[in-house]
Amino acid sequence: MCGIIGTVGRGGETLETLVHGLTKLEYRGYDSAGVALTGEGRGVETCKCEGKIEDLKAKLETCDPTGSVGVGHTRWSTHGPPTDENAHPHRDCTGEVAVVHNGIIENYGRLRDELVAAGHEFDSDTDTEVVPHMIEDALAAGKDPDAAVRAAVAELEGSYALAVVIEGTETVFAARNDSPLVIGEDPDGGACYLASDVPAFRDFTDRVVYLEDGEFARLDADGWAVTDAAGLPVDKTVETVDWDPEDTGKSGYDHFMLKEIHEQPRALRQCLRGRVDELNATVDVGDLAGLSPPAVQLVAAGTSYHASLYAERLLQTVGIPAQAFLAHEYAISPPPIGDALVVGVSQSGETADTLAALREAEARGARTLAVTNTVGSTAEREADHVFHVRAGPEIGVAATKTFAAQQVALNLLALAFGPPDDTREVVGALRDLPGNVQALLDDSDAAAVAREYVGSDAYFFIGRGYHHPVALEGALKMKEITYEHAEGFAAGELKHGTLALVTEETPVFAVVTGGGEAARKTVGNVKEVEARDAPVVAVTDGVSDVGRYADHVLEIPETHPRAAAVLANVQLQLVAYYTAAKLGRSIDKPRNLAKSVTVE
Amino acid sequence: MTVRTAVVLAAGEGTRLRPLTRNRPKPMLPAANRPILEHVLDALVDAGIDRIAVVVGYHRERVQEYFGPSYRDVPLEYVLQEKQLGSGHALLQARDVIEGPLVAVNGDRIIEPDAVRQVSEAQTAGDVPAAMAYIERPSARNYGAVTVQDRHLEEIVEKPETDAYRLINAGIYAFGPEIFDLIEATDRQEGELGLPDTIAHIMARDRVRAVKIGGLWVDATFPWDLLEMASEVLARGRVSEPQRTDGVWIDQNAQVSDDAILQPPVVVGPDCEVAAGAVLGPKTALGRNVTVGANATVERAVLDDDVRVDPGATVLDAVLGQDVTLGAGVVVPGGPGDVRIGREIHEDQALGAVLADRATAEGCVSFTPGTLVGPSATIRTGVVASGTVPEGAEVVR
Repeated sequence: MCGIIGTVGRGGETLETLVHGLTKLEYRGYDSAGVALTGEGRGVETCKCEGKIEDLKAKLETCDPTGSVGVGHTRWSTHGPPTDENAHPHRDCTGEVAVVHNGIIENYGRLRDELVAAGHEFDSDTDTEVVPHMIEDALAAGKDPDAAVRAAVAELEGSYALAVVIEGTETVFAARNDSPLVIGEDPDGGACYLASDVPAFRDFTDRVVYLEDGEFARLDADGWAVTDAAGLPVDKTVETVDWDPEDTGKSGYDHFMLKEIHEQPRALRQCLRGRVDELNATVDVGDLAGLSPPAVQLVAAGTSYHASLYAERLLQTVGIPAQAFLAHEYAISPPPIGDALVVGVSQSGETADTLAALREAEARGARTLAVTNTVGSTAEREADHVFHVRAGPEIGVAATKTFAAQQVALNLLALAFGPPDDTREVVGALRDLPGNVQALLDDSDAAAVAREYVGSDAYFFIGRGYHHPVALEGALKMKEITYEHAEGFAAGELKHGTLALVTEETPVFAVVTGGGEAARKTVGNVKEVEARDAPVVAVTDGVSDVGRYADHVLEIPETHPRAAAVLANVQLQLVAYYTAAKLGRSIDKPRNLAKSVTVE
Repeated sequence: MTVRTAVVLAAGEGTRLRPLTRNRPKPMLPAANRPILEHVLDALVDAGIDRIAVVVGYHRERVQEYFGPSYRDVPLEYVLQEKQLGSGHALLQARDVIEGPLVAVNGDRIIEPDAVRQVSEAQTAGDVPAAMAYIERPSARNYGAVTVQDRHLEEIVEKPETDAYRLINAGIYAFGPEIFDLIEATDRQEGELGLPDTIAHIMARDRVRAVKIGGLWVDATFPWDLLEMASEVLARGRVSEPQRTDGVWIDQNAQVSDDAILQPPVVVGPDCEVAAGAVLGPKTALGRNVTVGANATVERAVLDDDVRVDPGATVLDAVLGQDVTLGAGVVVPGGPGDVRIGREIHEDQALGAVLADRATAEGCVSFTPGTLVGPSATIRTGVVASGTVPEGAEVVR
């Protein structure tokens, strides 16, 4: 998982444009980075290093590659550790070809052996490096640069977004298979851009062209051209993206994560906008209501999987058999699908595992629906239907506002798919959510709780029913950004083993709302924990008496049980954030993690 | 217009507007259905300013969240003032991110773009270190007063005790590049550093241009002033929603029943729902996601985001903070009434009631004119509320 940028037609600002793009793409990966430039009759000049974009910028102070066309890359390691050598771009033996790549080339072992046998020398451990050497061979065999790139790509198996520059050309060559690539064209003509994602060049243009699998592109001074594998022109539509590049600024917050936590009321307003009508007790999800699925299978990974587990319970509540699956497991050993609707939940819409699961379902003839935050994503384009969660761009690697928006969006789908019995009540609660989340943000004691328990041996999270996924997500957030040990459990499962881990050094966060059976039973579990002297932090609306057994209470406004799960999660986001802040962690870019995981 | 940089002072709470400022600074209170600060930024952008620093402090996350990194394509830079030690001290915090010449304005007062232009032109043309705007009113008592001689400032007096002054410091300044040094050279008054002190400091050494401005200049000192502010904003059509008929603005994402009656001027924000038989207006503003139930009447009122007014309620001369809930049949019969703020009694104000954020009045509660309800207070069914209800209180019959 990596970020790619390429540009032509920027003249003396080529390097600057590439570095700017990499900065905007850093969320996709950040353990090494590099650029390659050529054109104006110069050779291919590269500069690359291990570390963040900041490290690359420092190195660029001394090695100053120049040229009128160029490509750049920010990397998240899959093959080979993050080192200067393994950083992209990679070059051939002659140094005339430079390649950046996102994805995994599955047959690289065989290709590499063949190339080594033919006398090529490799500098890195990466799968990518086979590509420039194959292009070198094709050029040596007399092919023109365009044909040489095609010849190399024809040999590749696996996933790739590739961008290539070749000495003696003023062109960026590109190819896509299973990894995103998008072209940007200057409104006034002249310059073109290529990137893994729109923010990389959004400051320069809002006119974009999405590449599809199997397509090739060339960008040069005359503009861009897209062709298929046979080299025939493909008719592409230029789309206009409407988001604001400034949305990527931190606007006064210390971290994007805190900014995004505070943006949740707005994200939920956007998610609900035009989709609910409380007075008439209706929801409007467009033609999706017509799907009326007899059963639903949800496929997702990470935080989106927790949203899927929550949706599984929502759908079951309204009488629709539903099951959530980890996408990577589903793709390998899919269950019988029958007439179920298969719903892929992915913030980026580029999650390779989720795409693989959706493709598996599609191959078996299932109807598919993508629930995503990213308009124009691969998931959207490949699935039969799409439902946008509309949370707005999320930069922090740890998902926050997109999880809340997923919860609300999935609620809307459950209301649309299920019988209209309690629509007004639930719609009312959903409309109350923006204000309720704001109330919680205004008064949260999470920072004090985090201060109290920072440095604990481990953190446990328990919940029942709708709150079980909340407990899992609370633990995941804690793990991701604090690097501390955290686990989430169904509250009733604690006594079946895990209780052995509970000590006075392991705070237990218990999510308990309402006064029903689930709450009563969870309070029982809290007492078990309390009896082992573990500190208890109750996340509660104050209806049950859990506060009596808790050392700390994080309050949430009283509301419908389905909406309570959204609110409870926000308190746990804040606890994780403030704990990580106290520990001085790299909150927006935690170690080893990247925002959208585009490798399987 | 030569000055293209502005600093907006938005760090103060605005204590006299309590309890409405429990969760946000005064600049974020609604002028009709947009924050006061949004109107201020509009004036700056319309005046040609293309770089803005916003000094934030009290509940700064509310400002940052609402506006984000830019406003109408003008980048916003947020600068933290940890302790509110005066307007000069606030401006000084922007020193690291911005250079003069610059315009400095208060974030809690609605102004015209022309006023910004005039002050900045006066500073440039007059080749002086500072220019400031003033307005004329019958009396300048309780304001910063000035006297002017031949287009230059003669005297600056904070809150004069007499009615002898008629010219008021409008709080719009233009400064040359040396302003930060001049603030630092100003003596602090009881630890605080106000821009008027710096103006006086400059006057002792140089001349300060004074510019008379007209047009909209609206300030809110007390909670009920928000009603007058809304009325001024609506009268001038300073709303962002599309106009449906003359003086009736309805967001395209609001659902207003065909059987509701809207009396101009009235504005309905995004995501609102207005049921059949409801009567809205005149002089009424609904923020985001407000619900007005069947047959409810809302006149001369500001309803902030997420307010719920249940069927049959009557709401006249009222300011309702965010997420306030009024049950079925609640009656706010309107002013005039006496309002108590701190130790002062303000008599005969045109105020039905002020309910702060998340206050709830259950069904059939009625309000004595001039009632102030604190944040998250709950007034149970059938109570006749009056006076001041403290934060979080529960009032029963």
